[in-house]
Amino acid sequence: MSSDKHLTPDGPIIETAGLTKRFRKTLAVDGISFQVERGQVFGFLGPNGSGKTTTIGMLLGIITPTGGGFRLFGGDSPAEIHAARQRIGATLETPNFYPYLSCRDNLRIAANVKGKGEADIDGVLEIVGLAKRRKTKFKACSLGMKQRLALAATMLGDPELIILDEPANGLDPEGMREIRHIIHDLADRGKTIFLSSHLLWEVERTCTHVAIIQLGQLIRQASVAEITAGTVSVGLRGGDDLSALETLVGEYPGAVSVRVHEDRVIAELEEDDFASLNRFAAGRGIYLSHLAREQRTLEDVFMEVTGATESGFGEVQ
Amino acid sequence: MSTTAVLLRNETLKLRKRLAFWVTMGLFAFIKVVSHGEAYLDARNDPEKTFALPAAWSRIMSDESMVSVIFGAVVLILLVSTEFTWRTARQNVIDGLSKTEWFWGKAALLPIVGAIFIFSQILIGGGFALAGTDLAAARSAIVGGPFFQALGGFFLAFFVMGSLAFAVALAIRSSGPAMAAWFAWIGFGERLVVLGLGRLFEGLRPALGYLPFGTSLKLLDYDAFDPAAYQRAVEAAEAAGRAAPEPVAVGTAALVAFGWILLLAAISYLWFRKRDL
Repeated sequence: MSSDKHLTPDGPIIETAGLTKRFRKTLAVDGISFQVERGQVFGFLGPNGSGKTTTIGMLLGIITPTGGGFRLFGGDSPAEIHAARQRIGATLETPNFYPYLSCRDNLRIAANVKGKGEADIDGVLEIVGLAKRRKTKFKACSLGMKQRLALAATMLGDPELIILDEPANGLDPEGMREIRHIIHDLADRGKTIFLSSHLLWEVERTCTHVAIIQLGQLIRQASVAEITAGTVSVGLRGGDDLSALETLVGEYPGAVSVRVHEDRVIAELEEDDFASLNRFAAGRGIYLSHLAREQRTLEDVFMEVTGATESGFGEVQ
Repeated sequence: MSTTAVLLRNETLKLRKRLAFWVTMGLFAFIKVVSHGEAYLDARNDPEKTFALPAAWSRIMSDESMVSVIFGAVVLILLVSTEFTWRTARQNVIDGLSKTEWFWGKAALLPIVGAIFIFSQILIGGGFALAGTDLAAARSAIVGGPFFQALGGFFLAFFVMGSLAFAVALAIRSSGPAMAAWFAWIGFGERLVVLGLGRLFEGLRPALGYLPFGTSLKLLDYDAFDPAAYQRAVEAAEAAGRAAPEPVAVGTAALVAFGWILLLAAISYLWFRKRDL
C-alpha cells in the first residue's frame, strides 16, 4: 500500500491511511485516515460534497485512489481487497438495480455476483418487508421499496460488514423508522455497520462511533458518547434584556462561552454547579426565571466543527 | 459456480427479460421474413427467377448481412451502456465482481448476440430458400465448405463492428449518443477518413479499404468464399455490361479483422479499467 502511515494487518475491519482522491483540479478526499473496528455502528458524516461517497467508492473499488491506501479485513493487496469485498454488503447513493427486472430477479443477480447462491433471497425479502412484492418490477417500486430492496441486497450472503450510503434518503418518518430498526437488528446480530448519512439525529440514535469529514478532510473521529460530551451546557432566561444577561453570565468565573440563542442565553460551564451561577446572578440583581441543562447533540457538535449555520451547511468546495 | 458461469447466467437472465431486446429481435425477424419471403414468392411466381439452395446463400449471406450487424450492434450498445445509466455496473463491482470480470462478462455478449442475429438470419433466409429447393434435383450439397467459410467471415465481420459498438458504448456510457457515434462512423466517418487520408497519402489508399467497416464489408461477401458463386457474379456482370466485381483477398481481410478485434478490445479494456464507475 502506498501510504505514509503504517497499517497493522491484524487491526480494524476498515483502516485508511492518507487516502486521497483528486479529480483533475478538485481534491475530493484529502489524505484521510480513520479506523472502523469490528462490531461498531460507524457513522460517516459530512456536508454535501465533503467526500463521503468518494471515500466509500474507493473502499468499494469503483473509484481509484490517487494517493494513500486502505486495508479491508487486514488485507491491502488487490487480491486480498477483492476477497475482502466478498465479505461486504454495500449500497452507494441511490439504489442501483435493473428497472425491468422484478425485486426477486434483481436479488438473484446480486446473489450470483456475490457467489452466495439464491437461498438467502426470500429471507432477506422477508426481513425488509418486501416478500409480498417480490414480483414487482423495480421501476414500479416506490422510493421506500427501492431503499428496502437495496438494504436486502446488502444482506445477501450474510456479510460481516455492511456499508450504507444515505439509506434513509427520501423516506418518510415511518420509512426512516423501519430502516433504523433494520440497522439496529443487524447491529444486534454482530454486524459491523458503516453508515453515511445527513440525518444527524438518526446517526446519533443509531451509531456507536462517528467520523466527521469536511472538504475532503477528516476533522473528528470518536465514539458518539465522547463526541457529545464536554463542557456543561445551560440555557438561561431572566430579566428583559438578553444582552445584559449575556454580559452578566460572561462575567461568571466558571463560564467558558456565552451566546444568545433565540429567547435564551446559552452558556458553557466548566462545572455542573447551577446553584453557584444562580447565586451569582441574584447577587448582581438578576433573578433567573429559567435555568436548565441543554443536551448537547451530535448536530451541535457537527455544526460547531464544520462551521455550518443553522440555515445550511455553509460553503463547500 | 465459476465466475464465467455466474457471468453467463446473469447476462442470459438479463437478456431474456429485456423487452428492448425482444422488440429489436422482433423487428429484425420481421424485416428478414419480408425480404426473404419476397424472394421466395418471386421465385415461385416468376420462372426466370430462382431462390433455392445452395445458390441462395449468396443472397442470404451477402446483401443483407449488414442488417444483422447493425441490429446486433444496436442491441450490444443498449445492453452495455444502460449498465452505466442505471449504475448497475457500479453495483455489480460493489457486489463483488472485479472490473476485469465485469468487462469479460459484457464482452461475452458479443458472441452471444452475434450468434443470435447471424443464425436467425440464416434460419429465416435458409428456411425460405429450402422451401423453394427441389432437394431431389439439387446437384450439390445445400450446405458445403463455402457456406461454413462464409459463416466464419460473417462472424468475424460481426465481431469487428460489434467490438466497435462495445468500445463506443463503454466510452460514451449512454445508449443514444453511443448509437449516434457508431452510426456516424459507418455512415460517413470512415468514408471521410478514407477520403482525407487517401488525398494526403496516396500510398495508403489500398490499406484504407481495411478500416473496420471496409474490412467487415469484404467479409460479408459470400461470393468471396465460393468460387462458383463468384464466377456467376462475374458472368452476370459481363452480361449486364458492368465491370466484374473485384476478387476479395479473404485471408488478408480475416487477418486484419482479427487485428481490429484485438485492438478495439484492448482499447476498451484499458479505458474501462482506467475510469471510475
